[in-house]
Amino acid sequence: MTDKKALKRESIIQAALQLFSSNGFHKTTIPDIAAKLGMSVGNLYNYFSSKDILAQEIIKYTSEVLGEKIREVNMLDVSAKEKIHKIVEIYFSMAQEKPEMIEYFLRVYLSNREVFSDGCEGMVCVSGFITEIMIFFDDAVSSGELRNQDFFSAFGLFMGYLGGMVFLKGEGVLPKDISYYIDDISRNIYYALKA
Amino acid sequence: MKKIQIKELIEKIEGEAELDFTFRGGVIEDVRINFGFYRGIEEILQGKDAWDALVITPRVCGICNHAHLIAAVRAIEDGYRSAGITLTLSPKAQKLREFTLACELIQNHIKWLYMTIIPQLEAYLKIESEQNHAMKATYLSSTITRALAIFSGQWPHSSYAVPGGVTCDPTHLDLMQAEALIDESIRFFEQVVTGMSLEAYLSLTSVSQLHRVEADLGRLMHLIGSHGMAASGQSYDRFIVFGESMLSSSGKSIATAVSKVDPRYVEESVQEGTVAKAVSYKKRLYETGPLARGMVAKRPIIKSLHKRYKDAMLTRIFARVNEVGLLLAQSKRLLGEIVVDEPSCTLDMETRCVDFEGYGVVEAARGSLIHRTKVSEGLIKRYEIITPTQWNLSHGTEEEDGIAVHAMVGAKSIQEATFIFRTFDVCSVCTAQ
Amino acid sequence: MDQVQHSKPKLLWLQSITCNGNTHSFLNHPDLFSILSHFEVVHHPVLESDYTIADLTALKVPCDILILEGSFVEKGLTKNGVEVSQMIAHYGNEAAHIITAGTCATFGGIFKQKDPKHISGFCFDHEQQTKRYEQFASKLISLPGCPIHPRWLSYVLMMLSRGHDIALDTLHRPVELYGYTVHTGCTRNEYFEWKIDTKGYGLKEGCLFYEQGCQGPYTRGSCNKILWNDTSSKTRVGTPCFGCTEPYYPKNRLFVTRTNMGIPATMPLGVPRRAYLTLTGVVKSFKIKRFSQRLLEYDQ
Repeated sequence: MTDKKALKRESIIQAALQLFSSNGFHKTTIPDIAAKLGMSVGNLYNYFSSKDILAQEIIKYTSEVLGEKIREVNMLDVSAKEKIHKIVEIYFSMAQEKPEMIEYFLRVYLSNREVFSDGCEGMVCVSGFITEIMIFFDDAVSSGELRNQDFFSAFGLFMGYLGGMVFLKGEGVLPKDISYYIDDISRNIYYALKA
Repeated sequence: MKKIQIKELIEKIEGEAELDFTFRGGVIEDVRINFGFYRGIEEILQGKDAWDALVITPRVCGICNHAHLIAAVRAIEDGYRSAGITLTLSPKAQKLREFTLACELIQNHIKWLYMTIIPQLEAYLKIESEQNHAMKATYLSSTITRALAIFSGQWPHSSYAVPGGVTCDPTHLDLMQAEALIDESIRFFEQVVTGMSLEAYLSLTSVSQLHRVEADLGRLMHLIGSHGMAASGQSYDRFIVFGESMLSSSGKSIATAVSKVDPRYVEESVQEGTVAKAVSYKKRLYETGPLARGMVAKRPIIKSLHKRYKDAMLTRIFARVNEVGLLLAQSKRLLGEIVVDEPSCTLDMETRCVDFEGYGVVEAARGSLIHRTKVSEGLIKRYEIITPTQWNLSHGTEEEDGIAVHAMVGAKSIQEATFIFRTFDVCSVCTAQ
Repeated sequence: MDQVQHSKPKLLWLQSITCNGNTHSFLNHPDLFSILSHFEVVHHPVLESDYTIADLTALKVPCDILILEGSFVEKGLTKNGVEVSQMIAHYGNEAAHIITAGTCATFGGIFKQKDPKHISGFCFDHEQQTKRYEQFASKLISLPGCPIHPRWLSYVLMMLSRGHDIALDTLHRPVELYGYTVHTGCTRNEYFEWKIDTKGYGLKEGCLFYEQGCQGPYTRGSCNKILWNDTSSKTRVGTPCFGCTEPYYPKNRLFVTRTNMGIPATMPLGVPRRAYLTLTGVVKSFKIKRFSQRLLEYDQ
C-alpha cells in the first residue's frame, strides 16, 4: 500500500469510528461515511468491501493503538504497581481524548457480536491489545509482584473495572473528571492482584 | 590353620563390588562385600513434588528402571487410597503395566544369561568360545524393549505409569506390533535358548525331563552338571516374595513350607564398611528373586530341582532362565486380553492428594523392590527404597552371614566363589543407590 | 588383516557417578556390533573387553576415544583405590576425542543434586564451564540425554571413525542431533498449533505443554525425529517431555506446567513471547470440531 492510500484508509477508519460511536452502528450507512469524507461511495468500497469488514478493521485498529501504548509501558523498567498506574492512565486519557475509540469498543464491538462473528472470533481482532496485557501479567507474576491465578480472573478484574468507569463517564454519571480517579483505581487494582 | 585374606574387584555387575575373601584351610571362611559409591537418590527426592519420584527413581538403575517406576507409582496410589481417594485401575492399565514390566524382566534375565553366566562359566572352566554371546543378549533385549517402548515410549527410563493408570492410549495396531515382537522373542527362546517349543518347555515338570532341553540352556546345565558344580552355592533355603505378580503371589518359603508375609516387619540397617544397607524380615535373612518366586509359587519344575539340589547354583540359575519362558507366554496372553476402549487412566487431572504416606512393592528382575513415600503439602518428606539386591547381597546380621556370603562360604577358589556370587544377578547400583 | 585391526580407534567407556542407563540404552542399538566393529573396545562396563578396571586404574590402557558416563566429582569416588577423576584426567589427555554420554557427564544431571557444590558435569556445571573446560574443549563432544539415545552415540562414533568433522553448538552438542527440539515430529503437533490441552492422562488427544509440564517445545533433542527403541517417544505415548537433555535437568514439579496467569512461563525455543501470545490469542478464538472430540471418532 502506498503512503497516500494508507492515510486515506486511516481517515476512513477515523470518520467511521466517530459516526458509529455517536449514531450507532446500524444507523450509520456507507454513504454517510463517504459523505463525511467527501469521497464517492464507489471509492470507499475500494478500501472496504462491506460495512461489516470496515467495522472489523476498526476494532483491529483501536486494539493496535491501545496495544502499542501498553507495549511501551511493558518495556519500562518499573514495578508492576507503577505499570498498573500507567495502563490506567493510558486507558482513561484515551477515553478523554479519543472517546470514540473506547465508546466503539463498548457500544459497537461488545453490543453487535453478530457483525464480528465471522472474522473477528474471540480475540482475533483484539489480539494487539490482549497480547500486551498478557505480557504485563506474565512479567508481573514471574517477578513475584502479582499473585499467580487464572488469566481471565485477573483480566476481568482489571479491564471490567476500567470499562465500567468509562461507561459511567459516557453516561454522564461521574461527578468528577475521570482523571481524578486514576490514583485510587490503580491502587485498588494493584491491591486486588498483588502477590 | 593359617588365615589368608585376598581382595578381588568384581566388575561388569552394573558397576563394581570389592570382595574380601578369608580363606582357612583352602576353603573360603568369610567374605566381605563392599559396594561402591552412594548416590543418595532418597535424599535427592526430599523436597521434590510427590510425582517427581516417577521420573527420579527409575534413575536408580539402568537395567531395572521400569520396576522402580512401577514401585513408585504404586506407592503414590497406595498413599492416595489411604488418604481416602477411590482409585481403581482399569484392567487395561493393569495389564499394560504387567506387560511392560515383564518385558523388562525378560531383557534383564537374557542379558544376565548371555553376558554374565555363560561367559563367566566358560572363563571359569577355561572353555574357548567362538560365539558372540553378547550379540544374542542384545538381539533379544533390544527386541523385547522395543515391544515395551510401544507402550512406555522408551526404555530405559520411561515414566509412562502415573497414578490411576498409564499415559499411553494404544490402538490395535500397537498391540499387533507388540505381539509380533513377542512372537519373535518366543522364536528366539525356542531356537536359541532351549531348542524346544515354548509349549513343550513349559510343560516340563521334573528334573528327569530336563535332558530334553537343548541349545544354550541345555549346554549350560550340562556344563554345570558335568563339572560337579550343580549342588554348590547353597544358602539358607529361605525365600521371600512381597509383590503380587504373574509369577507368584507374596509369601515366604522356608525349606518348602510356604506362609504369609507382612511388609511391616521389613527392617533396614546400616552396615559397617559399605554404603549398602542390609535388609531383614523379623531379624532373619531371606533370598529374593526368581528362585524365591518359583518356591513360593510352588512351581513344579523348580520344586523338583530344589528337591534334588536345594537352593544351589543349578536351581538358582535355572529359576531365572525359566522366568523368561513363563513371562513370554504370559505376555502374549496379556496382549490378547487388552481391551483398547477401556480407559488408560482413571484419575482425573483435578484430583490430587497432598498429604499421604504410601507403600509400593513390585517384583523386579532380582526380586522384591519396595518404595515408601511420605508426602506433606505435596512435597516428599521422606523416601525409602529397598532393593532386592540388599536382601541377597548384604553382609548379614549379628546372628548370621548374608545370603550370598553364606552361599560362597565353603568354596575352594575365588573363581568358584565369584561365579556363585554372580548367580545372584548382582547389581551394584541398586545395592548402593 | 592385522594392520586393519591395529588401525581401529581404541574406544574406552569409563563410568563415574551413574545408573548405567546410558550403557543399557546403547545396548538397544540394533546395529550395535557392526558399529563396534569399527573400533577396538578396550574397556566397556558390561561388554567383554580387552582390559579390566584394574588395568584401567594402572593408567596404562591405550585410548583414542573416551566415552564418559556419569556425573563428575573431584574426590571421593574411587575404583580399585584410584580416584576416578584422576583416571578421567589421564585418559582425557590420551584421547583424541572425549564424548560425555548423558546429561550427568555433560551437565551434572540428577546426581549433581546430591551435592551440588562438588558434583557437576565433566566440562560443564549446568551451563557454566568448569575449570577443565579450557584443557579439553578442543576434543569435547557433548551428548546430553537421560539416557542418551543409542543412535545419537552411533552417529558420533561413525562420524569420528570416518574422520568427519562434527558441527557443534556452544555447549559442544552436535547440531544435527540437538538443532531440533523434542517437539519436532511430535504426533500431538496439531493440538499444539491450536493450543488445545489434553483433558487427562492416557489420551491420544491434546497437547501436554499447557497443563502436564511437557518441555518438548524448548528442549533440544531429536526424540521425535529419531524414535526411541526405533518405535516411539515419551510424548507419543502421552508422557510429558521432562527436558532431560537440558543443562538444568531435572527441574522440580515435572508433571506440572509452570504458568503466570495461565501463560506458559517458558516459551518454545527461540520464539519471542509477543509472537507466541499473539498467535495464541488468535488460534484460541476458534473452536475446531475435529480437535474437540476423540480423534478416531471424527468422520465416523
